[in-house]
Amino acid sequence: MNGSISKSIRAAYSRHELLLAATATAVVTIFSLMLVPLTGYVAIALLYLLLVVLAGLKFSRWTVLLTAGAGAVLWNFLFIPPRYTIYIEKIEDLMLFAMFFVVAIAMGHITNRLRESQVAQQQRERRTSALYELVRQAGLAPDPDTGLCAAISLIETIFGVRAALLLRLKDHTLSRTPHSASSLKMDPAALDGAQTAFDRQTSVRQLTAAPHQSEGRYLPLKAHTTVMGVLAVAPARKKSFDAAEIELLETFAVLIGTILERDHLLEAFKHAEILEASERLHRALLQSVSHELKTPLAAVRTGIDALASGAMIENKKRVTIQEIQSASRRLQRVIDNLLNMSRIESGAVQPKLDWCEVGELIEAAVDLAGDSLSEHRLVMTNGSNLPMVKIDQALLEQCLCNLLLNSASWSPPGSQITVTARLQDSLLVLSVKDEGKGIRESELGRIFDVFYRGADARPGGTGLGLAIVDGFVRAHNGNVHAANRQPRGAEFVITIPVETLSADLAEEFA
Amino acid sequence: MNERPLALVIDDEQQIRKLLRILLEEEYRVFESESGRQGLSDIAARRPDVVLLDLGLPDMDGMVVLKRLREWSRVPVLILSVREGPDDKVAALDGGADDYVTKPFESVELLARLRAIQRRGAVGPDEPYFQAGHLAIDFNSRTVSVSGDEVKLTATEYALLKVLAQHAGKVVTHKQLLREVWGPNAEEQSQYLRVYMTHLRKKIEISEAREKLLRTESGIGYRLVIPTRNR
Repeated sequence: MNGSISKSIRAAYSRHELLLAATATAVVTIFSLMLVPLTGYVAIALLYLLLVVLAGLKFSRWTVLLTAGAGAVLWNFLFIPPRYTIYIEKIEDLMLFAMFFVVAIAMGHITNRLRESQVAQQQRERRTSALYELVRQAGLAPDPDTGLCAAISLIETIFGVRAALLLRLKDHTLSRTPHSASSLKMDPAALDGAQTAFDRQTSVRQLTAAPHQSEGRYLPLKAHTTVMGVLAVAPARKKSFDAAEIELLETFAVLIGTILERDHLLEAFKHAEILEASERLHRALLQSVSHELKTPLAAVRTGIDALASGAMIENKKRVTIQEIQSASRRLQRVIDNLLNMSRIESGAVQPKLDWCEVGELIEAAVDLAGDSLSEHRLVMTNGSNLPMVKIDQALLEQCLCNLLLNSASWSPPGSQITVTARLQDSLLVLSVKDEGKGIRESELGRIFDVFYRGADARPGGTGLGLAIVDGFVRAHNGNVHAANRQPRGAEFVITIPVETLSADLAEEFA
Repeated sequence: MNERPLALVIDDEQQIRKLLRILLEEEYRVFESESGRQGLSDIAARRPDVVLLDLGLPDMDGMVVLKRLREWSRVPVLILSVREGPDDKVAALDGGADDYVTKPFESVELLARLRAIQRRGAVGPDEPYFQAGHLAIDFNSRTVSVSGDEVKLTATEYALLKVLAQHAGKVVTHKQLLREVWGPNAEEQSQYLRVYMTHLRKKIEISEAREKLLRTESGIGYRLVIPTRNR
């Protein structure tokens, strides 16, 4: 399709076409000279008419008019008696000649119109398909950047140009650095041209120094409400653009501007959604957490006031101190949970991957859970048979610990909690099973939500434990899900893609 | 009566200083500094036996205090901070701190850690015997025994155990262990460390023991714990 839109129009004026018309006229004339003894001079007019019609189908208007004129003159000079003069003797010959002239021009004109409308039709089709391609490749691209790369390369192939895109920055000024896919080098003069186009919101024409003084065009990417940037183009082979090309380029610029604006609005919308979600989180935080913070704090203060008042028997004192200790631990757990959750919410959790032994991970998680598991029977698989895995041990320790605490609080004392670990291809699968009452089907989808608490949850707890598990596991590109077991109990399974290293390999390092 | 050791508390929170004084006064003479600059000059003037350093100081970061201090002093330093990220801990330990305790802390734990880093200051690496719980090491004959039975260790396992024992009670970072056992080029090869720690544990730990001898500090390093109950 390279440059073909303009070619058909420019070719109209080419010398090539005139030469072809002259040759055809000469051939017809020679043929007529041979034929005239047989047919008489009137029939020859029809041959010239045929020539004009054919020329009208092929050539541009001026060539057709010239052909018609030449045909009339030649017919008159060579064939109408008296021959070899331009003088016409008989009145009917004069009429024939006049009619020939009118018919030739009319025929030429009509066929030429027909052809032009056909060319215009083809141009429209090419234009439509070019715009369609732009919408398909740039507008429906999975992300804005891919779309822009596609738009630039599309413009370059359709117009045979080198192109550059300068985008509007966040502070609503024009970037001085072209988009990375741009092939057109932007020197300071070119950047100024683009800036002018951006400021005036009209396309700007400029002679560029390289290559060979060709024309540079700067088209503003106009959208509904604003200008999203500037499209800079310079022809690769020729010196300038014609009107049709410029019109299409301007349409392209508007389309790209609209696509960019759409992406911009989408982003703004997402941002607004995030803000709204964080506001919701704030409200929930105030409700749920203020309770969770104030309860242990109240216990601490009451206990301390009791101690401060003096007269207390030794036994009671000891109990009070124990209560204060446990309340302050609870307070710390709530604060830790909140801090972890806010790290997750702000996307600040970056796992620090390091080699780690799975058995050690499980033991550390059990240690972390501490006395909360003392009333349950804990069964652990021997993880030391597994190869080492590359994970953030501290994060996963917290995950497993939260799952253990969750199981412990939802299953009766004396029941069994099972922790297992296995490797499945390159996936680390960690599972925590309990023998509690399981999870209601209606709640299965929501238990990992922030601040969600089971309908019949025991008092205490922030509704953050499982959300933190989910957040930390996601940070590892893994997932966690819950299911009910038969005949009773629940199972939580963490699945994480990991790199592995078998112990034998590592021994080479001795 | 032998004079109690001097502990210097560098912390800008008056409440923390007050409570630390109450906690420490049983075993230490306590002196307080409320800023980094003052702390540095107090260390120079008073020559404390142990320093408790907060990281979030108003005039300069605790890490800077530590760096300046380590240019001329080897006094045992325990970092006492609310910063709980593994990165902060590793940075402080590699920067010359002897141990790291996060606020809020358990009083018993803090006292045990303080004793551990002070012991190291007093004894040094030239002590030929080491014992912790059921584990005994004779550095002269390079023999290790568990509950009286000799255990065969490979050269690497022994070297690893020796470093941990020399820093007993204190956390030793991965980097430090790798450097001391395998050499400076191995600082990033943590997978080897994991493998040898696993081997070492299998050989020297008794499964019935309630408390583990070699404790993992996630993302930081290992600590050889000196059991308090068993002795």
